[in-house]
Amino acid sequence: MRAILTLAHLVILEMVRRKDIYVLFVLTALLTLIAAAANIFDDTRVVRYLKEISLTLIWVSGFVLAVTSAARQIPAERESRTLFTLLAKPVSRWQFIAGKFLGCWLACGLALLVFYAFFGAVALSRERSLDLAGWAQAISMHWFMLAVPVALALAGSLLWAAPSSNSTLTLVVCFGIWLLGRHLHKVALGLPEPRATLLTLVYFIIPHLELFDIRDLIVHRWPPVPWLFWLGALLYAAAYTGMILTGAWLLFRRRPLN
Amino acid sequence: MTEVIQIEQLVVTYRDTETRATRTVVDRLTFTVRPGEVFGFLGPNGAGKTSTMNVLLGFTHAASGSASIFGVDVRQPIARQRIGYLPEMTYYYKFLTAEELLRAYGRIFGLDDGEIRRRTDELLALVELEAARRRLIRTYSKGMQQRLGLAQALLNQPDLLILDEPTSGLDPLGRMKVREIILRQKAAGKTVFFSSHELGEVESVCDRVAILHRGELKALGPVGEIKHPADGNLEQAFLRLIGWPGAPKPASDAGPADHQPTAP
Amino acid sequence: MPQTAIAILFLTSLALVTSLEPWFQSWQGNRAQSADLLAVLLGDARRAFANHFFIKADVYFHNGYYPSIFDNRTAFQTPHMAADAGALEEKNTGEEDDFLGPPKDWIDAFGRRFKPATHTHLYQGGARADGPAHKEIELADSQDVREILPWLRASAALDPQKIETYTTTAYWLRQRMGKTTEAEAFLRDGLRANPDSHEILFELGRIADEHGKDPARARNLWELALAKWRKFELPKKDPDTFSLLQIASHLAMLAERESRWDEYLHYLGLWKAASPQPAEIEKRIAEAQAKRAAANAKPQTQNSKP
Repeated sequence: MRAILTLAHLVILEMVRRKDIYVLFVLTALLTLIAAAANIFDDTRVVRYLKEISLTLIWVSGFVLAVTSAARQIPAERESRTLFTLLAKPVSRWQFIAGKFLGCWLACGLALLVFYAFFGAVALSRERSLDLAGWAQAISMHWFMLAVPVALALAGSLLWAAPSSNSTLTLVVCFGIWLLGRHLHKVALGLPEPRATLLTLVYFIIPHLELFDIRDLIVHRWPPVPWLFWLGALLYAAAYTGMILTGAWLLFRRRPLN
Repeated sequence: MTEVIQIEQLVVTYRDTETRATRTVVDRLTFTVRPGEVFGFLGPNGAGKTSTMNVLLGFTHAASGSASIFGVDVRQPIARQRIGYLPEMTYYYKFLTAEELLRAYGRIFGLDDGEIRRRTDELLALVELEAARRRLIRTYSKGMQQRLGLAQALLNQPDLLILDEPTSGLDPLGRMKVREIILRQKAAGKTVFFSSHELGEVESVCDRVAILHRGELKALGPVGEIKHPADGNLEQAFLRLIGWPGAPKPASDAGPADHQPTAP
Repeated sequence: MPQTAIAILFLTSLALVTSLEPWFQSWQGNRAQSADLLAVLLGDARRAFANHFFIKADVYFHNGYYPSIFDNRTAFQTPHMAADAGALEEKNTGEEDDFLGPPKDWIDAFGRRFKPATHTHLYQGGARADGPAHKEIELADSQDVREILPWLRASAALDPQKIETYTTTAYWLRQRMGKTTEAEAFLRDGLRANPDSHEILFELGRIADEHGKDPARARNLWELALAKWRKFELPKKDPDTFSLLQIASHLAMLAERESRWDEYLHYLGLWKAASPQPAEIEKRIAEAQAKRAAANAKPQTQNSKP
């Protein structure tokens, strides 16, 4: 466990010292503030559009951060040959994958804390109160959801060596699932065989990232998700992450490193 | 007594990515490295030295045969608990400082924070990086990075030090430092296994050497035994053993059989 | 040598700039359109975005409870916020509360817990209308409907020719938020972009009548709206009778208020022609005729007095 935590710490240090998080945060904040500056018929209490813009930017930034950071981890280690010095120490390949995953995921969590603090400030600036339960659910579900893209990008980096192609592919898959995932079954119903069965299979296989998107509940001030379902969603993300990471380890386990 | 390194009938193959053909780079290699000795692993480029080291370090898996370190199969990560490794080209996390790098590696070895601090101070003094300990590694020169590499290789006070071309790219002072460290390890009863093209250096520090050519072991034993009387130095013996046309002819009729690998 | 070449190039470009700039300034071509940054950036796609934002406003009107293109949308063909504002004729059929149908599988059933699941309206207090925080407020007075305004404003910016954006916005601004001045200004913006819009003229008339208390101005605006309707809508194969109904009914009611019976009867006739329930209007016509007769009789009675 110590080796995993140390590797995770290294990943977090790297991400903190790189500029990606800051650039994404500044962009999110800037776009939200520009939207906030719009004059909506001299009414300063209009807030939902701001919450939506802010949350959408946070979601996009979350995906970009998770995928790009995870996708470069293993290729960068190989390219700079730091992987060899590291694996010459008592670190198993499973620990290496787990450490890289944990680092990226924790760094995403830290970034989300900053982003959601900003979101909270935006909401509070125009609303009298912040729905703390909803806010906590939104951040925790978002964070757990990001475990899946991180794991996918890590596994992808073992299949596609170039971080750019891996990032692009993983982002397309993630955005595709986020935006269309829940509709695949309905689309399948209108298709002829065998495409209908194929699409239904895809629907049941993919990790449904859109489940974690409770932006509508937060923006429109709906009551929080029942906590049992919230827990179910977290476990769902954990299960998929575990499966993908196991797949990544199986790929990496006996791969020669030259 | 357990051998430090034990390699038996080791075969390493690679698949050519273009032709998809399988190529044997190490062929039925057998040798052992004994505790406390400095062992030179020699051979021209493409001889199979790095492939053998990769197997020892768990980077690649052998097609057949076995390799163990301190009696533990090299496929087990714990086999690497007591070794220190300095790769030929040393690149470290450039976003870290030397201090942070050593702390991270120390934690991987399971050292406590106090011990890590103590060893970090000691090693950074040894490799003369005290003044640069809080500077990001990206600002280091090549020589400084190589010295940091030595520090990290010694961090866990290894019983076996594996050095891959440790002096390549170093200035004379750096080479002297490496030689000094190898001899210090030897004096402390530790084992050193290293590959090098600097045969003069190998000759001066090694107890035994193995010479590899095209994946096959050509000679194994103390430097004095490998050299023929006609060989002026280890370099000439090396050239003769790998069959280089311009190599000196042996003075006696003693054929290459004399230099066949001896029992380890 | 390179310096000379650079100097010559520099002078040539300077000469070109000074000679071409006046011509470029006077040249119209495509530049007339390119002054609008959004049009340049988005081209014709801006209409699609404008539609999207208009629908987005309706999504907000329903607190996020809204069908996607993959769901049953029969109950959401006309945005409710526009139909409630009288900006569009409602053509919705079907069940508003159950557009999703029964869950198709466990993922669908599970996923519905993370989305708005009740049909509510912003102007009725929003998603937590039944919550303790809202118990004390008059739901019918909720001003949360303001939340649809940013999207309507964006829709108008992207497609200034989309008239229902102006009329819907103006309705909610004046009706629920008391922002009559802003509503009128926004409609005037719309009128500048659509000078022949009978819908905008009609809405301006409503502001003059209901908020400005200026019936004469309202009548003028509505009459102008009716003239525009006759000129541009009537020749169409399928004219917009809903607008005619609105203009005629308001003109009729204004005439009734002012006891202008001939005018009242005239507009009732138009109203009847556009109404889906002409029998109802027929009754009003009969009543109006009686009132006119009574009104005409009064002066005669007065005159017959000695």
